[in-house]
Amino acid sequence: MEQSIRSNAESLAFKDVTVHYNNAKGWAAQDTEMRDTNRMKEIQFKASHTLLLLFFLWIFLLHAIGIYFFTKGFLLTRLVLDHKSQCDSPPIELQQSSPSLFADGCWHPKTFDKAVIIIIDALRYDFTVPFSGETHHYHNALKVLDETARQTPEKAFLLPFIADPPTTTLQRLKGLTTGTLPTFIDAGSNFAGTAIEEDNLVAQLRGAGKTMVHLGDDTWHSLFPGYFDADLTHAYDSFNVWDLHTVDNGVTEHLLPLLNPRNSSKWDIIFGHYLGVDHAGHRYGPDHLATNAKLREMDTVLRKVIVLLDEKTLLVVMGDHGMDVKGDHGGESDDEIEAALWMYSKRGVFGRGHNGFMVPPATAKERPVGQIDLVPTLSLLLGMPIPFNNLGAPIAEAFTGPGKPDWQNLASVNALAAAQISNYQREYSQARGLTEEIFLYPQAFWKDGLLIWREALKSGRHNDRFKPAFESFSKYQQETLKICRSLWARFDIPSMLEGIAILMCAVVILGTYARSSRPMTLELIPIYLAQMTMFGVLSAVFCSALTLLVFGTGIVNAALLGLAAGGISGFTYASVNLPQIFTLPFPRSLWGWLAVVLTLSQSVGYASNSYTIWEDEIMLCFLSTFALIAFASSMRQEFFIERILGIFQAGIFLVLTRLASLSRLCREEQMPFCKSTYYASSTSSTSAPWQLLIPLVSATLLPAVIKIYYQTTRSYQRSATIWIGFAARLGLLGSAIYWVLDAADDNDWLVVDKSILRTVKIVIARLILGVSLVVGTTMFLWSNPCISIQVTPEVNGSADGEVAPKPKSVKVFGYANVHGTRYFLLVVSWLLILTLLQKPMGSGAIGILTIQILALLEIIDTNNLSQSAIGPVVLGLLGSFHFFKTGHQATLSSIQWESAFVALKTIRYPWSPLLVVLNTFGAQILTTVAVPLIALWKQPPKKSRLLGDVAKALATLLLYYAIINLATTMWAGWLRRHLMLYRIFSPRFMTGAAVLLIVDLIGISVGIGSLRWNFTSIAEVFGWN
Amino acid sequence: MTETATEARPRKLVPISQSISVLPTDTARIYNYIHPVLILSLYYLCFPSLVADPVSTLKKSIAPLAHLQIIYCVVCLPPSKGSSTQPTPSTTPKKKKVQFARPAAKVPATLASRIVPALFSFLLSLSLSAPLLTVVLILFGAPLTTHFWHNLLCATHISLLGVLPLFYVHGVDGRMWREISGACLPFDEVWGGVVGSVVGAWLGAIPIPLDWDREWQKWPVTIVTGTYLGWFVFRFAGEYLLKGKRIEFD
Repeated sequence: MEQSIRSNAESLAFKDVTVHYNNAKGWAAQDTEMRDTNRMKEIQFKASHTLLLLFFLWIFLLHAIGIYFFTKGFLLTRLVLDHKSQCDSPPIELQQSSPSLFADGCWHPKTFDKAVIIIIDALRYDFTVPFSGETHHYHNALKVLDETARQTPEKAFLLPFIADPPTTTLQRLKGLTTGTLPTFIDAGSNFAGTAIEEDNLVAQLRGAGKTMVHLGDDTWHSLFPGYFDADLTHAYDSFNVWDLHTVDNGVTEHLLPLLNPRNSSKWDIIFGHYLGVDHAGHRYGPDHLATNAKLREMDTVLRKVIVLLDEKTLLVVMGDHGMDVKGDHGGESDDEIEAALWMYSKRGVFGRGHNGFMVPPATAKERPVGQIDLVPTLSLLLGMPIPFNNLGAPIAEAFTGPGKPDWQNLASVNALAAAQISNYQREYSQARGLTEEIFLYPQAFWKDGLLIWREALKSGRHNDRFKPAFESFSKYQQETLKICRSLWARFDIPSMLEGIAILMCAVVILGTYARSSRPMTLELIPIYLAQMTMFGVLSAVFCSALTLLVFGTGIVNAALLGLAAGGISGFTYASVNLPQIFTLPFPRSLWGWLAVVLTLSQSVGYASNSYTIWEDEIMLCFLSTFALIAFASSMRQEFFIERILGIFQAGIFLVLTRLASLSRLCREEQMPFCKSTYYASSTSSTSAPWQLLIPLVSATLLPAVIKIYYQTTRSYQRSATIWIGFAARLGLLGSAIYWVLDAADDNDWLVVDKSILRTVKIVIARLILGVSLVVGTTMFLWSNPCISIQVTPEVNGSADGEVAPKPKSVKVFGYANVHGTRYFLLVVSWLLILTLLQKPMGSGAIGILTIQILALLEIIDTNNLSQSAIGPVVLGLLGSFHFFKTGHQATLSSIQWESAFVALKTIRYPWSPLLVVLNTFGAQILTTVAVPLIALWKQPPKKSRLLGDVAKALATLLLYYAIINLATTMWAGWLRRHLMLYRIFSPRFMTGAAVLLIVDLIGISVGIGSLRWNFTSIAEVFGWN
Repeated sequence: MTETATEARPRKLVPISQSISVLPTDTARIYNYIHPVLILSLYYLCFPSLVADPVSTLKKSIAPLAHLQIIYCVVCLPPSKGSSTQPTPSTTPKKKKVQFARPAAKVPATLASRIVPALFSFLLSLSLSAPLLTVVLILFGAPLTTHFWHNLLCATHISLLGVLPLFYVHGVDGRMWREISGACLPFDEVWGGVVGSVVGAWLGAIPIPLDWDREWQKWPVTIVTGTYLGWFVFRFAGEYLLKGKRIEFD
């Protein structure tokens, strides 16, 4: 068997071109003519290549415009009112006869002069309460909050503090200072916070002339630029999650001296923002010694702060959100939204009289307060007006007073908050043109409350009479909040429909182009392009002009819409006028049907939350199905070699798929049926020591395996030997070393200075990125094809005629796969980049993906499927599958933000987001880079229409992603009232949209763009066809 | 374009298998209808306990299923003649008119000549195809480290239902099994049953992820259900609707 394989490989290995060569000798006279023809063909190729690029840019444009319009309508928006609350005009007079301004407070007498507000990022509620039973590292570490609240209930209280999703720090800070609900569209801007324009507590404090100090997370400075005292304030970079201590040490170092009585006149309000707990969660997960140590540190710091605190100062400690089992956050799962709130004062003004619960709730499900409730509470405690957009209610524990409940005070503060909400609601209705009926139901509570309250006031301050008033006001606040939530879940349906229509048309265009214009894929491009551009530009100009004349605003949107509509009509016009070329794009073989069925069933699945949740397992099943059918198809080969080769590759593909599937990162909804293996444990976000071996194994095996695939056609020549045999080996080894050093840094394995370790790490990472990007690209641009030409010299017949004269013979080794092997060098460059950016488990997945791509190419070749849709679709499935296998899920919290620091010490634009993108969508990017190989693998150098075939393959891959994106978009739009919209459908839509745009860009720039050099280099040797 | 001219595309295997029919006796014709009903009734009766305790139910139902299948083979199907009587196909691949499975012309003489191959088929499907199908199930995402018996028993059921008659009718001839693994047999009740059990098992995975919290969604109840239903539907489709047709890939 081995013998026959070898002989077959031998026959593939070289091509004897002696005849051509000898013929060519006679053509010396025609040499110039030939050169001219070649030159002309080269120009022709370059022209059609450029046009092809432009055509795909059009596709990208349509996708981008479609996604833009849908997103505009889908991601919720809230109209921000510019009104500011004024100190001297309270929304309601607290006393019958007005001195409306209290001497010691704006709307209500203040309780405290000063405040220390400490945010412990990601302080989950269960970190703060005692826990008996099976404890984790995060239990019983931070005890001071519960202890004080339990022992001195008049001095402190501890409550669950429920965040409104999205639970990212930026959004939470907005919510915590404005007292209103964040909207989803902000979630994407976590990398670059922007200043808060609307009325908020910090602005009110600044307006009242308070001196504010900020220590810690620098997100505050992007939200409140210039608000803080420049001398005392110390801000620290917030995104370096690898660093657990710099921010915390900095805050503590500056906080404690400020609390010293000597310094107490220097400030009024201190905002301290600790990040250590959050970073420990991100880096190690909550159930880890590092988290425990961090919580204990917080405990110590808070005890020191308590000692230093004076009677006039309020101390607030809170988490801005929680963390999930892995220590990440962003979504709306229970663990992510359940933070803790603790208030402390030495004066003993707090109480529990209104409900009688003296100890802190055991779980976050009991007696929670909303995070929006903080703003009215703090405002009134500090004698500030409640910010205009606030929707929260004062927290009762802070106003009820020690001992018997002070119902009158509770009713007063709730009356103020409710009156403010009532004002806001009126203004908002007016600004949005809402009818009064919407708020009719809560309005009744407001009126009831007012009536009872006035009665109680008149009747001479009988305390208990105020209780029903308090209850009515609370009810009013709760009901209004409910309505506002639903109002801001209001979608712009027309815009969404426009987006969906554009995306749908783009799918039709891609489908028509990819699947029914064969074999004219290239020749039709100029016609399409001309019509699309002409129609598009005309229509864009027309639409924007019309909008300008009629409405005067919204020109950009109109122009975009016009451009898209024009492009679509242009394509339709062009294709209707070319009827003879088209056949309906229906599949004509089992393979075609398989491609369609797999794509469509995946798309239909997104309508169900279950199938979206279990997408990773479904991809496994689909890929195995393909491999099994490929196995059967290979069985049908008549010849032994092809049969064995096909079976072998299908088997490799099948086994590797299952092997890769062992790498899992479970999303919360998959529990308890899923066990995460991506990290050391399901509650950690670091790799286990044994996982560090994976990159090493990958570095050893992968180049060797690639070499084997090259050697079947004797293509392991020239650049391939250097790039695969040397550079790839070194690069992969470098990645392996990088991750070992990273683990050493994590676990303190080495007794080396951490900063040295980090510098070494970053140097290695930059070297790998630099070499693969710069050297890899240069090599790709200038490299010769991976062939070796063997010339046997002419043997002259000897004089006596004993030896027959033998003409010179020329053999080309590696001839059978000239295009494929040269192009694959580019895939190797990308492989190096993407491997470095994945965690150890992910680099294994990327390695497996590379071999799977090669196996797929061989399957495609032995079964003669290079024209079928199945090749690109399986590549697409591989991309989707390995997205999960590289430790991602379609959720915000699974984004591996720390990958931004693989090659950088601090956030730098645009590199940091770029690194995160390469980490997140690595699998899809690698498969897109590889898609031209479907058409190029093992094709003869001068095959005609090869460029068109590549375009077709790429268009088919884009079609796959476009259909997935269209499906997720449509389902997200359709299920916009679904309970799980934000948990499941919305993140999946965002993933799909991001993937489509990235794949478009990579496909155009790398997939199509690089072909220019591939073809030119091969034509230099073999001539143009 | 001399290059393309020399490109010899791989040639495809020309299938020589033929569809089979039930034996030309009245008992065979009648039992051919009774059998699927019996199998499905057996499945229907087992279903509640299958949901309650999959492993023991699957284990217990192997015996009745195997008996039914063996009886079916003996009563209705023409046994394989054994490779000795056939020309070895590998030596003469070009002769396309050689026939393996015969039209159901003759009823084999003795009962023993039918029972023995049926028993052999049972043993083969138990020892050969059941472990293989277990591996395939795992490759498709069945639990690797847990649920070993679930997987093995599920594969055994697929094997007994689909593959046992295949062994009985086509024997263990190499060329024949190449065609079988290439899925290029013509449809008949046996091949229809095979395709049906595989397709059914595949489709059976569909309800598993749904969050309906039903007891029957647990592994491998839906797979087994899919197998039985798929087998039932496709064996009739193979016998009538698709008779003689082959699955074409290209």
